[in-house]
Amino acid sequence: MRKLSRDLAHALAAEYVVGTLRGRARARFEAIARDDREVASIVRAWEDAMTPLAERVAPVEPPARVWRRIESRIAPASAPRAGFWTSVRLWQSAAAGLALMLIVTLATFAPRGGRDAEPMMVAVLSASDAAPRAVVSLYAPDVMRVRIVKPWGNMDNQSLELWAIPHQGAPRSLGLLANAADRETLMKMPMGSLRDVKMLAVTMEPMGGSPTKQPTASPVCSGPIAAMRRT
Amino acid sequence: MEPGAGVGSPVNADARQERLAALLARTALGDRAAFAELYSAMRSQLFAVSLRIVREHGLAEEVLQDSFVNIWSHAGAYAQAKSAPATWMTAIVRNRSLDIVRRTREEPDVDDQLSANLVDESATPARDVERRAEAHSLNECMQELEPEQRQSIALAFHHGLSHSELAQHLHRPLGTVKTHIRRGLLRLRDCLMRLEGTHT
Repeated sequence: MRKLSRDLAHALAAEYVVGTLRGRARARFEAIARDDREVASIVRAWEDAMTPLAERVAPVEPPARVWRRIESRIAPASAPRAGFWTSVRLWQSAAAGLALMLIVTLATFAPRGGRDAEPMMVAVLSASDAAPRAVVSLYAPDVMRVRIVKPWGNMDNQSLELWAIPHQGAPRSLGLLANAADRETLMKMPMGSLRDVKMLAVTMEPMGGSPTKQPTASPVCSGPIAAMRRT
Repeated sequence: MEPGAGVGSPVNADARQERLAALLARTALGDRAAFAELYSAMRSQLFAVSLRIVREHGLAEEVLQDSFVNIWSHAGAYAQAKSAPATWMTAIVRNRSLDIVRRTREEPDVDDQLSANLVDESATPARDVERRAEAHSLNECMQELEPEQRQSIALAFHHGLSHSELAQHLHRPLGTVKTHIRRGLLRLRDCLMRLEGTHT
């Protein structure tokens, strides 16, 4: 395979980042960096090194129309994906009624595995059609149980990943779930790790979980956490 | 040229980057409120960066729009970029600005000596410039350059001047300008690697 020598890659990456690499040369180099991870990392190194210069430029306020245009260009109608958060919130209300029903059912069957009849926390995760897909409960402060109510059929080379969605900040992965109706996934949780969490959601990620440590797809189901008693 | 202006306190800078990273993560999930906050946090900085390069309000507005639409749809890729969030977004805006400059101030400026020089070589991984080189290392290294090297690099970086525009602006032959940039960047790289060595 033809490769750029390391020195040449550095020379090109530097001029690419500074901006003096122009025209066809720029386009060609961009194409190389897309395919060659080593070249891409050299470009990134130069971007990281040089960009602080740009961050000291005196700010200039853009006109308000810029944001209006951005908003119209990312309007839901033209967006290829349903907004994660929009859908999470929409499902919330629909799921609430079902959640209550399920909590009753859970309470009936729970003693089988738990020390206490009453769970500390329950979340019913439902899909966009409000059908419950997974039930999450916490009987001990550090052990979470996840049961899939109805498994997903089309799972070619994908894993189900469970996310804690805190009130503020980025979602946190809680781990992968088994896509089977009769299996309960037990997850060891650090104590108090759900304290700031309002919602749980499940996404379909590449096999083995999200490579980015953040959800890469819209959730297949989600739901609010209902605290049953104080932990 | 920006002289070595004060860099914000590292603690605040880190907190800001963390906040931006969280906003980006939420944006990746389609959280419009987070995206709006991200725009508010970065718009005036990024608009200024673009304005310097494209030099027209209308074009800079176009760049900002395109860049944020791009950020909206590719925010998920940020997690893999491993750069600081502000750096990642600034790079997007700078690239879009340079694209637009290329479109509007088109001129063939292919540096054949560099671009046509593809060689066969088995990759030998060596040390990279530290990815998150501190701003002060960069300033330090910029000061080590010859004044003409420093001036050429800064003009190109901030104002998007091409080799031939630089030659015109600095009243220098094209070849001389190219050499200044190339040697200056080489020295910059050596200096950044050396500093990285002393920091670790």
